[in-house]
Amino acid sequence: MPLKARLFQREVLPFVASFALLAALALALDGLLHLFDLLWVGRWLGIPGTLLIIGSTAYSLRKRKLIRSGHPAKLLRWHELLAWLGSLLVLVHAGVHFNAILGWLAVWAMLINVGSGLTGKFLLDRSRRRMEEARQRMRARGLPEGELEDQLYWDSLTFDAVKQWRVVHFPITLAFAVLATAHIVATFLFWGWQ
Amino acid sequence: MKKRPPILWIVVALNLVVLVALVFAYPHLMISPGPLVKGHEELATDCFACHAAWRGASTSRCTDCHAVADVGVKTTKGVPIPSRTVEVSFHQELIEQDCMACHSDHQGPKLTKRSRKPFSHALLKVAVKEQCSTCHAAPKDTVHRAVKVECSQCHGDKAWKPATFDHDQYFVLDRDHQASCETCHKNNDYSRYTCYGCHEHSEAKVRAEHLKEGIRDFQKCVECHRDPRVEPEKGRGRDRGGRKRD
Repeated sequence: MPLKARLFQREVLPFVASFALLAALALALDGLLHLFDLLWVGRWLGIPGTLLIIGSTAYSLRKRKLIRSGHPAKLLRWHELLAWLGSLLVLVHAGVHFNAILGWLAVWAMLINVGSGLTGKFLLDRSRRRMEEARQRMRARGLPEGELEDQLYWDSLTFDAVKQWRVVHFPITLAFAVLATAHIVATFLFWGWQ
Repeated sequence: MKKRPPILWIVVALNLVVLVALVFAYPHLMISPGPLVKGHEELATDCFACHAAWRGASTSRCTDCHAVADVGVKTTKGVPIPSRTVEVSFHQELIEQDCMACHSDHQGPKLTKRSRKPFSHALLKVAVKEQCSTCHAAPKDTVHRAVKVECSQCHGDKAWKPATFDHDQYFVLDRDHQASCETCHKNNDYSRYTCYGCHEHSEAKVRAEHLKEGIRDFQKCVECHRDPRVEPEKGRGRDRGGRKRD
């Protein structure tokens, strides 16, 4: 079954690995900070983490034509990398501490956001390629265009459903932004910064 | 750009409003980094009792209720505290008043419980810092009860352990004396020692050797034999309790 093996290697494994690596690295870094009694470092990691996530939104602004410069494909790669790194720092900053609900909601929104981003990145790519491969195979067999569309009806529906990740990704991003902003404002309001 | 349905923005705005309302209604749940210590439980929903907006918790807000001169002497309600506590030194003998240097009134995270800041002796006035007994009771164990030296000779001011003790000041443990403590200090009593604990220095043997040289006062071994690698001065033992009294 060469196709399945390829799918697993190219789509499932990178998706799981990317998410698992994020969790494992966050736990490892948090563990190291506890081990060396450097908890204060984690407290400040929220700032670079937030800045990286803000930096990653350049792609979103470019896509919505709110900024004009930058190559969209390159910006997308940066979006993925910076958002992943920023999320890692924010996760370490959050630690495994069960305190304020607001902070926890922000962390969960961020994780769902990363999950939706990774799902979209891997599943959308996978669906598009599967559809295209099926279309080419049918054309090679000499299927007329109308019948070809009938055959691909359910696949098209699935593809459209997967495309919905964009619709999901955006409100989750907004929810995350609102929660994170509330957390940051609360920190500025009550923290001593000394 | 395709225009987004306004419903999305309405939902987001409503979320924000609800969140802000929840923050003000339940600040101890929504934004507090941990429950307050027992004495301040009633302030759980009144963040601004201790925090100044945008500036954090301040010493002046603490001292509004806890007058420094009264700490350890009387309660915030004016009730006298009968016995003088170490809190007096901790608060009235400091080089500067900075409550947050030691206090974090929000208890630590449930998982680690480590938000309490350790007291730093560097905050104490020098005169108080050098008098450990101002705050610390002398240990009564056999290691310490006969000790007359300053605590700082063995203990640092960061933690009681590890402690350093220079045994060479009293007796040099050369390669022939790498014995267990019990060999010389019986029953863990470090205020006493005996050199007769090993086969080499049996009492009869030591007695015979010293009497042969005319030394009768040989019970306080380390007075002459502080360093086993060095021969004691000739005639030292004799002057103290030996032939002179003959």
